[in-house]
Amino acid sequence: MIALVLIVAIVAALVLLGWLIPGVGEFFSTAFWGGAVQGFEAAGMQQDWAYGLGTLIHILLIALPLMLAVAMVIYTERKIWAAIALRRGPNVVGPWGLLQSFADGLKVFLKETIIPSSANKALFLIAPVITFTVALIVWAVIPFDVGVVLADINVGLLYILAASSLGVYGVIIAGWASNSKYPFFSALRAAAQMVSYEVSIGFVIMGVILWAGSMNLTAIILGQQGHVLGLLNGYGFNPLLFPMAVVFFISSMAETFRTPFDLVEAESELVAGHQTEYSSMSFALFWLGEYANVILMCALNAILFWGGFLPPVDWEPLYAIPGIFWLFLKMGIFFFMFGWVKATVPRYRYDQLMRLGWKIFLPLSLAFVALVSGWLMFTRFEGGAL
Amino acid sequence: MIGIFAFYLFATLTILSGILVIFARNPVHSVLWLIVAFFNAAGLMLLLGAEFIALLLVMVYVGAVAVLFLFIVMMLDIDFAKLRSGFTRNLPIGLLIALVLLAEMLIAITAANSGPLIGDQPASTAQSNLSAMGELMYTRYLVPFELSGIILLVAMIGAIVLTHRDRGDVRGQKIHHQVRRDPEEAIRMTTPESGKGVEL
Amino acid sequence: MTYNFAAIVPELMLIIGEPILMLTASTMGRRATKITTWGTVALLIAATIAALVGTEPSSAGPLFGGLLSADPFAVYGKALIYLSAAVAIIAANSWFARDDEHGPEYPILILLATVGMSVMVSATNMITLYVGLELNSLSAYILASYRRTDARSAEAGLKYFVLGALASGILLYGISLLYGFTGSTQFSAIAAALGRDEAMGIGLLLGLVFTLSGLAFKISAVPFHMWTPDVYEGSPTPVTTFFASAPKVAAVLLATRVCIEALGPAIDAWRQIIIFAALASIFLGAIAAWGQTNIKRLLAYSSINNIGFVLIGLAAGGAAGVSAVLFYMAIYVVMTLGAFLVVLNLRNAAGEPVEAIDALKGLSSRRPGMAAALAVFMFSLAGIPPLFGFWPKLMVFNAAVEQGLFALAVAGILGTVVGAFYYLKIVKVMYFDEAEEELHYACGNLEAAFIGLFALIVSPLGYLLIGPIGSAADNAAGALF
Repeated sequence: MIALVLIVAIVAALVLLGWLIPGVGEFFSTAFWGGAVQGFEAAGMQQDWAYGLGTLIHILLIALPLMLAVAMVIYTERKIWAAIALRRGPNVVGPWGLLQSFADGLKVFLKETIIPSSANKALFLIAPVITFTVALIVWAVIPFDVGVVLADINVGLLYILAASSLGVYGVIIAGWASNSKYPFFSALRAAAQMVSYEVSIGFVIMGVILWAGSMNLTAIILGQQGHVLGLLNGYGFNPLLFPMAVVFFISSMAETFRTPFDLVEAESELVAGHQTEYSSMSFALFWLGEYANVILMCALNAILFWGGFLPPVDWEPLYAIPGIFWLFLKMGIFFFMFGWVKATVPRYRYDQLMRLGWKIFLPLSLAFVALVSGWLMFTRFEGGAL
Repeated sequence: MIGIFAFYLFATLTILSGILVIFARNPVHSVLWLIVAFFNAAGLMLLLGAEFIALLLVMVYVGAVAVLFLFIVMMLDIDFAKLRSGFTRNLPIGLLIALVLLAEMLIAITAANSGPLIGDQPASTAQSNLSAMGELMYTRYLVPFELSGIILLVAMIGAIVLTHRDRGDVRGQKIHHQVRRDPEEAIRMTTPESGKGVEL
Repeated sequence: MTYNFAAIVPELMLIIGEPILMLTASTMGRRATKITTWGTVALLIAATIAALVGTEPSSAGPLFGGLLSADPFAVYGKALIYLSAAVAIIAANSWFARDDEHGPEYPILILLATVGMSVMVSATNMITLYVGLELNSLSAYILASYRRTDARSAEAGLKYFVLGALASGILLYGISLLYGFTGSTQFSAIAAALGRDEAMGIGLLLGLVFTLSGLAFKISAVPFHMWTPDVYEGSPTPVTTFFASAPKVAAVLLATRVCIEALGPAIDAWRQIIIFAALASIFLGAIAAWGQTNIKRLLAYSSINNIGFVLIGLAAGGAAGVSAVLFYMAIYVVMTLGAFLVVLNLRNAAGEPVEAIDALKGLSSRRPGMAAALAVFMFSLAGIPPLFGFWPKLMVFNAAVEQGLFALAVAGILGTVVGAFYYLKIVKVMYFDEAEEELHYACGNLEAAFIGLFALIVSPLGYLLIGPIGSAADNAAGALF
């Protein structure tokens, strides 16, 4: 509870800050974001070079804070679990233990990377890099505000689906290259689980795409403005899409191999799953990738169903607060829910996992695709008369 | 300039990884090179402005098909020495087929320089290729589209027919039974005397 | 865009009926086998009637922007396909019923294959053609390995799948070349482009060769026949019965439509290919059948042999040639279904299906009716004059002679003589050899009725049917020109 209050307080303080000082909002706005490219061009650079350099800066602007966020998020999550388990959590390194993650990071950084003698060396080392890279590339299309996005592409949602489906390769390759029993089982589980839940995620997303009429994430968010009764910003408030929001939330936990779907690294069965043979930085890369993915899934939940950078209620004064704070607030809430679930729900058995994915989510999401498209046909396209 | 550089990068990598698919000694490596090839092919599509197809390629082939390939290949127990023993025997046939295909491609490319018999320029519209494809698929090509759906249905029925077994000796978990159970009949409150125990 | 759904009512009936049957099967399990079997048969018969009745000339033309056509040619094919598929389902019913292997999915898979075949015969666009072909092929691969516990069946399915996928690839390559050089996947547009170009480019020629090779695989013409004997032998006999009948019709009609409608102006280019395939099929089918000991393998070579004769009709081209092809297919289906129905009902003392030719020894003394029927089918397949199988062969040769292909006709007749040998061998085994082992011929009433009916059709009495079938075939062939 303390941790929850802490998060809410921090976010509320940020919100207040953004509201009180207009400059902070300006900092995250389009003007600043687009400024880099224009600035380089004005300095006499060729257009494509300016574009390239500007993009590089944008990438760093997203990736570096993200890595920092991962460190803090791990600390926060440990605090949440501790609170739920009536423990204290990390409280030694730094004030309130805030520097715990950095201490952990330093530790793994200084350790030796051990490569098992029978491992497939190249693949063994590539696997964590893949996990880490894939977790980062998805952020390219996430809009933090109108226009504040690295690549504002038409098929953004498809890009996310495509990129997130690559995440499984890190696990599979790690499992196979380790040349060890447990990682291999873990790889097999990961492959099956990923493919199963991607199906329902695809169908869930289809409902959103149908309603928004676009695959561009900014367009999807803006389409949610005043979506319900002209008052609430978010597809999730729509009774036809709320069940899909729940399915998406659960599937996103399965997609990131989080409890209760963490069979991939079920410690009672598979030691540490695909990470069993990993040590030092290669191990840390898995962790960074995993948490970057978790934050990403929180962002996706916020963007697809709960209005992204829009305030929850379509009320003019709320727009004074920069959109990025709303997005972070929503991500924070989802992150808390992820941690909450992890601390309270027991792990699924493998057949139960498959049952949930194929026998419940798939038919349910399929039915809702039909429902949503039928509803849209009647309300938006004059009863299907083409 | 970046466009040209990107094209040659993707094209070279596609061909290189295609070659490595064949020459990799380990089948798992072959599949991984195949994935790299898919990736670069998707990059080439992107350069052509077909972003929808490019991402579909990544999503379907890299994200699903190749995962299953890898899944199967990882579990194979292949004797590589035995596998390669037939190499010299099958080499002439393989070379022949390769030569025929090469000749065909060369001929096709030289013939293509004369241009198609019907001048068919792609219509330039403001439509994104996603909506253009969607519109074609649901109007002009409705019939093949629906039939493809039936093909997938056949694949599904086939997979079930060929692999599903009714095993009588397995007691599966029936979750709806568990959920439907009433606490009233599932729980019995007793206060046994000490040393007596409970009659079950 | 407006759609003319009235013209595809037969297909719609099958497609809509299928999920209903499938849902019945999924709720009732194995008990639904009877329901799906007879439901499918009823659907197929209803679709036949719908196809035959519902052909108005106005709605027959290009449908869905030229993707499909419901012209008399397609209707002829559909009627033939639906009816033979129905017979194949009925034949399977009693065969599997004894083995406790029959499932409700079996007729449904045949139904889905039938939808694919129906699209094949009505396709007027390469895309529809390919989709229909794949729908049929995929169902066929599954059917071939339907007895999955039987190693031979699984092998047949795998072989069929691998070679079929290869053939599909070749076909697609050919189609893509044709599309690349003519700029269209539409049959009529391809023909127009071919007609405009005086000297055909090498790229187009390659496209044509590859397309025809892919189709040759589907009709199992030499040199793309190698899968046929293995798949026919390994598949469960009812499945072989099906393979030998309806898909053959669909593939032959498809090849005919592609050759005439899409590649018509390039007849000089493909005629030589077809002539080669025809002669190679006739002679290889006849000679390779000699040494066979398994009756299913023998019938496989017989089908290769017969496809050769059909291709002579196609090589002749023109309305007469196409009409001969259509007529031949109708009679061929009756003969081959009859022969397989007899084979289906052969059981040894243990009640297991018998496939060896030796098992037929002395059949005439035990079941004279059955032996006589099989003899009739064999003579007819050989094309021996008083029987009806002679007539379509005559038509095919006539068409060839009319086009001035004397040598081809003579070679074909020679092939008939060579082929007659092994058909006669079976008759000899049945009538002149002593029985070695006890055989049971438990033949259901329905099967017996079908065998009798088919024997009647191919007997000299069948000549009465020349009028109706001939006019239907002429009408159908006319639709292509």
